[in-house]
Amino acid sequence: MGNRLMIQEGHLLAVFNSAHRVMKAESRLKTLGLPILLIPAPRQLQTDCGLALRFREEDRGGIMDALEREKLLPEFVSRYEAGNFVTIWSFADCEAHVR
Amino acid sequence: MNTIDCRNMACPAPVINVKKALEGRTELRVLLDDGAPRENVSRFARNHGFKVDEERNADAWVITITGGNAATAAKPQAFAQDERLLLITSNLLGEGPEELGSLLMKNFLHTLLETAEIPARMFFMNRGVLLTTDGSDVLEALEKLGGMGVEIFSCGLCLDFFGLKDKLKVGNTTNMLTTADSLLAANHVIKL
Repeated sequence: MGNRLMIQEGHLLAVFNSAHRVMKAESRLKTLGLPILLIPAPRQLQTDCGLALRFREEDRGGIMDALEREKLLPEFVSRYEAGNFVTIWSFADCEAHVR
Repeated sequence: MNTIDCRNMACPAPVINVKKALEGRTELRVLLDDGAPRENVSRFARNHGFKVDEERNADAWVITITGGNAATAAKPQAFAQDERLLLITSNLLGEGPEELGSLLMKNFLHTLLETAEIPARMFFMNRGVLLTTDGSDVLEALEKLGGMGVEIFSCGLCLDFFGLKDKLKVGNTTNMLTTADSLLAANHVIKL
């Protein structure tokens, strides 16, 4: 119920693999004035720390660029679409592509 | 109808005066300043089963309280069985690193949106008012809880102390009398 309240159609969720990384990412992005909200990760998403950063598609570029610069890229990013979470970016795929 | 003048009084004096004045009476007219005094007195009267009419004149808000039962005027509003009151006295959850405490509190308040039970009322005191005012990360969650019927109150004295009286973004301002009455009347109080 709650995730349906905090997460609306089209919202993006960046999921990290540690509490320290997500807290650091929140702090850096806020300092840069980027519109993110740290929320509990939905049950459907597998996370280690149970936290996710929520943001909108229009802010995705700025947020992902900043996270890359800070070496704080998430494990994956999902988009909420018609009641499901669809992974639209993953660190593993990004790494494989770079190699 | 008797009229009492509660203008230029600091909270909770207006509510205390109204409470005394209502003892043994079923109607009362009160002159009040706008803001927390007006809100608190109106809420107090409604919570005790009175009908409240508010009217603004040139010098004051005139609150007309009618239709009460004198026998119940001194008793706080009864809580329904199993209603829970959440008392939040800090912007941090638990003792330990501030950063972690802040994160845990945010996480807790967001998670309340998906728990099976939600509190009937939430009282924010001391540094807890940092959560209901401008700059808080949980305003969206608190607004949604408000939309689900949770009554959200912030301590007026605390808002004043932190210079946040005009920065309240969610819920209403309250005073110690209402807070104490509610705490003592509640069936379950959970303090964070």
